[in-house]
Amino acid sequence: MNLETEWYLRSLQAKTRRHFLRGCSMGLAGMWLGLQTQADRVMAIDGAHPPARAKRVIFLHMAGSPSQLELFDYKPALQQLDGQDCPQSFLEGKRFAFIQGVPKMLGPQYAFEQVGESAAWVSDRLPNFKQVVDRVCFIKSMYTTQFNHAPAQLLLHTGNQNLGAASMGSWITYGLGTENENLPGFIVLVSGGRMPSAGKSAWGAGYLPSVFQGVQCRSQGDPVLFLSNPDGSSRADRRKTLDAIERLNHRAYQEYGDPETLTRIAQYELAFRMQTSAMEAFDLSQESESVHRAYGVEAGKESFANNCLLARRLAERGVRFIQLFHWGWDSHGAAESEALNKGFKDRCRECDQPMTALLQDLQQRGMLEDTLVVWGGEFGRTPMRENRNGTEMKFVGRDHNPGAFTMWLAGGGVRPGFSFGETDELGYESISNRVSPHDLHATLLHLLGINHLKLTYNFQGANQRLSNLTKTSRVVEEIIA
Amino acid sequence: MILPSRRSAVRYQAVFLRRKLRKPLWISFFVCFVVCATSLAQEESAELAIPETLDFARDIQPIFSAACTSCHGGVKQAADLSFVNPKSVLPPQGWVIEPGRPDESELFHRIVSDDPELRMPPPEEHPQGLSARDIGLIRRWIEQGAIWTDHWSRAALQAPAVEDSTASTDWAKQTVDHIVAAEHQRQGLAHAREANPEEWLRRVSLDLIGLPPTADEHLDFLRQVREAEDETARDAIYEKQVDRLLASAHFGERWASMWMDLARYADSKGFEKDPHRDIWPYRDWLIRAFNADMPYDEFTVRQLAGDLLPDATFEDLIATAFHRNTQTNTEGGTDDEEFRTAAVIDRLNTTWTVWQATTFGCVQCHAHPYEPFANHEYYAGLALFNSTEDCDLDSEFPTIPYTADPAKQQEWLQLTEKERQITRAIDAIGHQRVQKTVWNPLPVLSASSTSGMLNLVGSEVRSSGTVAVGSTYTLTARAESLSALRIHILPVSDAPEDWPEQGSVLSHIQLSKHGPESEQPQPINLTTVIPDFRAGSYEPEQVLQPNKDGFGGYPKLFGPRWVVICLETPLKLDSDESLQIELIQKSSVTGGLSNHIRRLRIDYSADQKLSALANNSEVRELRDELDATREKLSEFRGPEVPIMQERSQSSSRTTREFLRGNFLEKGAIVRPGIPQAFQAVQDSRIENRLDFARWLVSDANPLSARVWANRLWSELFGIGLVETLEDFGPSGTPPVHPELLEYLANFLREDCGWRIKPFLRSMVLSATYRQDSKASPQAMERDPKNRFLARGPRTRLTAEMIRDQALLASGKLNRSIGGPSVMPPQPEGVWQQAYSSAQWQTAIDQDRYRRGLYTYWRRTSPYPGFLMFDAPVRDVCSARRIPTNTPLQALVTLNSEVYAELAKALAQRCYSETESLPDAVDGMFLSVTSRPASDQDKQVLMELLQSLMPGDNASVSVESDHENADSGDVQATQHVLDKLSQVALAILNSDWALTK
Repeated sequence: MNLETEWYLRSLQAKTRRHFLRGCSMGLAGMWLGLQTQADRVMAIDGAHPPARAKRVIFLHMAGSPSQLELFDYKPALQQLDGQDCPQSFLEGKRFAFIQGVPKMLGPQYAFEQVGESAAWVSDRLPNFKQVVDRVCFIKSMYTTQFNHAPAQLLLHTGNQNLGAASMGSWITYGLGTENENLPGFIVLVSGGRMPSAGKSAWGAGYLPSVFQGVQCRSQGDPVLFLSNPDGSSRADRRKTLDAIERLNHRAYQEYGDPETLTRIAQYELAFRMQTSAMEAFDLSQESESVHRAYGVEAGKESFANNCLLARRLAERGVRFIQLFHWGWDSHGAAESEALNKGFKDRCRECDQPMTALLQDLQQRGMLEDTLVVWGGEFGRTPMRENRNGTEMKFVGRDHNPGAFTMWLAGGGVRPGFSFGETDELGYESISNRVSPHDLHATLLHLLGINHLKLTYNFQGANQRLSNLTKTSRVVEEIIA
Repeated sequence: MILPSRRSAVRYQAVFLRRKLRKPLWISFFVCFVVCATSLAQEESAELAIPETLDFARDIQPIFSAACTSCHGGVKQAADLSFVNPKSVLPPQGWVIEPGRPDESELFHRIVSDDPELRMPPPEEHPQGLSARDIGLIRRWIEQGAIWTDHWSRAALQAPAVEDSTASTDWAKQTVDHIVAAEHQRQGLAHAREANPEEWLRRVSLDLIGLPPTADEHLDFLRQVREAEDETARDAIYEKQVDRLLASAHFGERWASMWMDLARYADSKGFEKDPHRDIWPYRDWLIRAFNADMPYDEFTVRQLAGDLLPDATFEDLIATAFHRNTQTNTEGGTDDEEFRTAAVIDRLNTTWTVWQATTFGCVQCHAHPYEPFANHEYYAGLALFNSTEDCDLDSEFPTIPYTADPAKQQEWLQLTEKERQITRAIDAIGHQRVQKTVWNPLPVLSASSTSGMLNLVGSEVRSSGTVAVGSTYTLTARAESLSALRIHILPVSDAPEDWPEQGSVLSHIQLSKHGPESEQPQPINLTTVIPDFRAGSYEPEQVLQPNKDGFGGYPKLFGPRWVVICLETPLKLDSDESLQIELIQKSSVTGGLSNHIRRLRIDYSADQKLSALANNSEVRELRDELDATREKLSEFRGPEVPIMQERSQSSSRTTREFLRGNFLEKGAIVRPGIPQAFQAVQDSRIENRLDFARWLVSDANPLSARVWANRLWSELFGIGLVETLEDFGPSGTPPVHPELLEYLANFLREDCGWRIKPFLRSMVLSATYRQDSKASPQAMERDPKNRFLARGPRTRLTAEMIRDQALLASGKLNRSIGGPSVMPPQPEGVWQQAYSSAQWQTAIDQDRYRRGLYTYWRRTSPYPGFLMFDAPVRDVCSARRIPTNTPLQALVTLNSEVYAELAKALAQRCYSETESLPDAVDGMFLSVTSRPASDQDKQVLMELLQSLMPGDNASVSVESDHENADSGDVQATQHVLDKLSQVALAILNSDWALTK
C-alpha cells in the first residue's frame, strides 16, 4: 500500500467511526476496512458501557433442540408419571407442533448423576463433559415464545421470529469490529449435513449493511467460497494479475478521483492476503496429533469435532463471533435418525468429546478467560411423549417445548460451576429466574462490554436493537462472575 | 385499459383544492434547509441566529423529536401529552401552549425552569436541558402563533415555478437542468463539463437496459457523434441512442430486476425446507409491463388488486402474485394462521414501504412514535388485506395454471367464471329451500369414536382425548321421517375473538338404517350437498366421496359452519329402526395435526322438497354442467402460480385489533381504511384492496409520485434526493433538494402520465446527467456524495449488471427473455436445506448464460455471487441496496467458475476476431469497459501478458500476429489463450469494469 492509499484509508476509518457514533447509514463503502481495527468503536460511542469481560464468542447451536430432560434437567418426578395420561392442566391454552389430544408422559430416558464440585446433574450421555462442569454456568430456565424451528432460531439469533432482522454475530461485529483484518469477523460453521431450519437468515445482516453478515465457511473444499485461485493459475500469476488490476485502478483514480476506487484497491489486496490467511486458519494439519485426538477430529470430513477445533483456531486469530450449528437434535421419535432412543445417542457422542475438548483447550491456552462459549438449542422438549397423528409412534421422542430449556455458558466472565434458574417438577415450564432469548442477548452484549440499549441502528423508523425493542430485556447479572 | 386513479381522483378534488390554497411553506423552508445543511460542520462552533420566520417542521418538530417524544409521543404519552400531533398540545383540547403568549404557556415554563422537579426534559435524562437556541426557537414559534403544519411528505403535490436562470440557459437541456443550475448558483458551484460520449453511452446503456454497449454500438455511436455538424445534430444522435435503448426488449429486464427487490421475488417459499415456488410468470409479467411502459397507476392497481378489477384478465391475476411473494411456512407442526397472518402483515408493510415510504410497521404494536398514526389504524389497513383465500397451505392455494397462450388464458378464465356462476346458482336454489324448511334437532342416542372420546352434551356431540387422524365417529339417532341432515361444525369457544381455531373438517359421511338385530344395516344414498358458503380449497360435494377432502374449516375454523346433506329418497324409520351416521375425520395439516370435528350439532328435516332437489331438472342440468366444467379445468396444466383471490362476501374474515401486536390476543373489530392523516375528509370509504390501490395512485395521495420519482432518480444518480428511499417520514432523511423532488414527482405524474420511459428519457438527456463524473479533491471534499449534482454520477454496477456485462463482453450472453429461472454455476454444497432434497443442477446448455435476473433465487440460500454484491436475500421487501466494497467481492470476480469461464470466452472471442494479441487486449478492454484502453492501460495489460509467459519468447508470442500463433500447434494457442484469459480477468476486475 502506498502512502496515499494509507492516508486515505486512515481518514476513512476516522470518518467511519464518527459515522457509527451517529448510527446512520452512509459512507458504507469503507466499512469493511473501518471494521478491521476499530475495536474500541462502541466504547467511543458513549461512556455508558460496561467493562468488557469477553472479547469473542463461540456459539455452539444444537440445531433442532436437544432434550434438556435427557441431558441436564433431571426430573425424578417425571419418572413417576411415565406412561400416564398427561394432566389436562398441562394442555390448556398450549400450542404444540405435533402433540395432539391427550399424550402420555415420558420419564427421563437416561441415568443422571451429580458431578464435580458444583454437583451439577449430567446424564450418562455426556461422559466427557462431566469433567468440565465446574467451568460451566447452566441456565436451566430458558424459555422462548416460538415453538417451530425456523422462527425460534430466528428469535434466538436475530431477536425477532420474523425474517429480516440482524443476527447476533452481525450486531457484535457491527459494534466491535474484528481483530484480524485478514479474516471475516463473523464466521459460521455448519455440521451434521444440513443447514439450520432458519437457513442463512440465522446469520444474516438483516437491516444492517450486508458486510456484517456471517460468512459461512466450510471444513471441506474452499473454507471461504471462491477462496482458491481457479485451476491453472498459480499464486505468483495471481500476484501479477492483481498488480495489473491495481495499476489499472490507479489510473481510474487519477482520472476520476473516486475514493471508492482506492477502497477497491485495498480490498483486492485484502482478498489476496485472505487467500493465504484463511487457508492457513482452516488447515487442521497444523495441529498436533494429540490435539486431533482430544477433539476427535476426522481429517477431511465435515464434523462437529473439526468445527470445534476450527473455532479455537479462529478464536486465536481474532475472529469476533464464531457460530457453529450442529444438525440433528430434533428428537420427535418420528424416525430412527432422531429418536431419543436412537439418533439422539449419536448426536451426544458426536458433541460430547469435542465440546469438552474445546473448553479444556481454551482453558489451557489461557483463552477461556476472554472467550465466551455458549451452548444450546432454540427451545426445549416436552415432558410428554409425542403422538404424531394422534397415535403411538414407532420410536420414542418428545415434541417442541418453548416453555423450558437449558443452555450453558463458559468463560468470558460468566460464573463457573453455577446453575441458574429452575423449571417445574416435570421440566415443562421455567418457573424461577426465567431467561428469554432477549435477556441472553442483553447479557452477551454486556459481557462483551456493550450496553444492549445503546447499540442501535435506525431502520423502519425505530432504533432497532438486538434485545427486545418494546420491552427492556434484562442483563442476567447473577451469572456474571 | 384501466385508469382508475383518474376516476376516483375526482372524489379527492375538494381536499386537493383546499390544500392548494395553503401556502406551500415547506418548499421554501427546504431550500433554506439545504443551505443550512452545508454549514452543518460549523454548527457546533457558531450558534445560528434564530430566523425571522419560523417553520414548524424545520425548527420545532426536530426539537420535539429529540427531547420530548420518547415520553410524550405515540408510544408513551406521559401526562396524556403527545408531541406527535397538536391535539394535546394546542387549544382547544391541548393545554401546554397558549399561542402568541409564551409566558403563559406551560411548556415554556417547564423548559426554562430551574426547579429539577419541574424542568423538562427531565434533568436525569437530559442533564443539559434544551439549548439556548432551542428555547429561543420555541419562544419565537409560540409568539408567532404556534403554527403546526403536517409533515412535508403529505403536503399536496404542486409544480414548482421553474425560472430559466440566465446562468443555466446555455447549459440546460431539460427543465430539470434549470432547477439544478439554480442550486449550483446558490451553492457557488459550477457544473462539470460534459462527459465523453463514450462515458455517457456506457452510463445510459447500463442505466436503461442493464447492459453496457457492445463494441459495435460503441463505435457506431462515436462515429455518428464525430460526424455531427452542430450541437443540435449531436443532441439528435443522443436522443436516437436513448430511444433505441428505451425500445430494447432488455429495458424491461433491467427495471424488473429493480422491482423484484421490492416485490421480494424469489423462486422458493421460504423457511426450513424452502421448497420451490412457481412464480416466474410474475417476473415475466414485470418485464412485459416495463417494456410496454405501463403507467404506474395501472401497474400499481394490477399488482395490488388485479383480481378485483371488473373483467380481470389472466395477466391481471398473474400481476397479483406481487403479494404472493410472501413466505409460506411448510415446516411440519407450524400454525398456518400464524404464518398466514405474518404474510398479511408483510403485504401491508410492504405496500406502505414501496408506495409510500412510510414506516407503517411501527404501528402494529402501538401508535407510531413520531407520526400521527394510531394503533387501530394499522388494523384498519390489515383489514384491507385480510380476506384473501390464501392460508399458508403447502399447495399455496389459490394458484392458477400458467399458460402463455392467450386463447388458453381466455378459456381458463371463462371456465373459472362459469364454475363460479354455476355453484352460485346451485347454492342459491339450495339456500332458498333450506331457509323455507323446518329444522329440528336430531335426537342422538349414542356417539362413539375409533379414538378419543365423544360425549353428548345437550343436543351437541363433543370430542375429547386424542382423536387420531383417520378416526370415525359413529352416531345413532332416531327420527321418524328424514329427508336431509344439517350438520353444524362448531368452534369449541363461543367467543368470536378466540377464533379462528384449529381446522375442523368432515371428510366423509355415510348413513345407514339399522333394524332389529338380525337384519343387515341398509346403506342410505345421499345426493345434494348445500354448504353455508364456499371458501378455501375444498369442494363441499366431496363429503359424499370417500378419500376426498370434504367440508369444513381448513386449515382453520373461522366460525360455525353448516352443510345440508340430502337423502336420495325420503326415509321412514319404524320404531325398532335407528339411523346410524358415520362421520369420517381424515383431515390434518402438515405435521399430522388432526383437523377433526370437536363440537357438532345435527338438525334434520322431513321436507321432501330437499331430497327432491336432486331430481330438479334445473339443478341436474347445472350439476352436469359443473362436472363438465371442472373436468375441463382439470385438464389445464402449467406452473401453478400463486395469486391473490378475495373470499366472497359471505366468507370474508373479520379483522380485529391484535392486543400488543399479538395475533393470538384479539380485541375490537375494525373496519378497513387508511390512516386519517392521509384522508382529510372521510367522504370516500376505502373498503378493499382495489379502493386502496386506486387511492395510492390518485391525485389525493402525493406520496406515491414523490417516492417513485425519487426511486427512479436514485437508479440513475446512485442516491435519492431523499436518501432513505424507504422512509420519507420524520425518521428518514429530508430531501436534499425539495424543489427538484417536487418537480420530478409532478413531471412523472402529470406530464409523463405515470410512464417512466418519457421520464427517464428526459433525465438521461439532461445536462445534469450528461456531466463528466470526474471529481477534483476539492469537489470531493465539498460534496463527497454529489448531492448538489455539480458532476455526473459514478456508481458501482449492481450484482446482476456485473454478471450481465461479463456475459455480453464474452459473447456468451443468451438474450432470450423470460421463462423458468435457471441455475448457472455456483460452488458445490451451497444448498444444504434442512429436510429438503432439492438440488442445484448447474445448467450445461445455453441457460448457463442467461442474464442475472433469471438466476434461481432460493431464499434460505441465495446465489452467493449476488449476495456478496449487496443483493438482498428477499425474505422481505428490500427498498434499497446499500453498495459496499469488500474483499469477498474481489474473490467472486477473481475466482468463481463463472468469471473464469467468461474471462476465457472473452479472450477467445477477441483473439479470434483480431489480428494480434495487442488488438485482442484492446478489444477485450473495449468490450468490458465501453472505452478504448489508454496507452497506459495497454502497457499495463501487455506487461501482464508478458510476465505471465516468462518461459516463452515473450516478445515473439506477444508481438506475433495471429497467423503465426495459428501456425503453431493447438497446444501453444491454448497456452496463449490461458494467459490472455488472465488479462481478461484483470480487465473484468478493474474499477473501469465495476463502475458506470
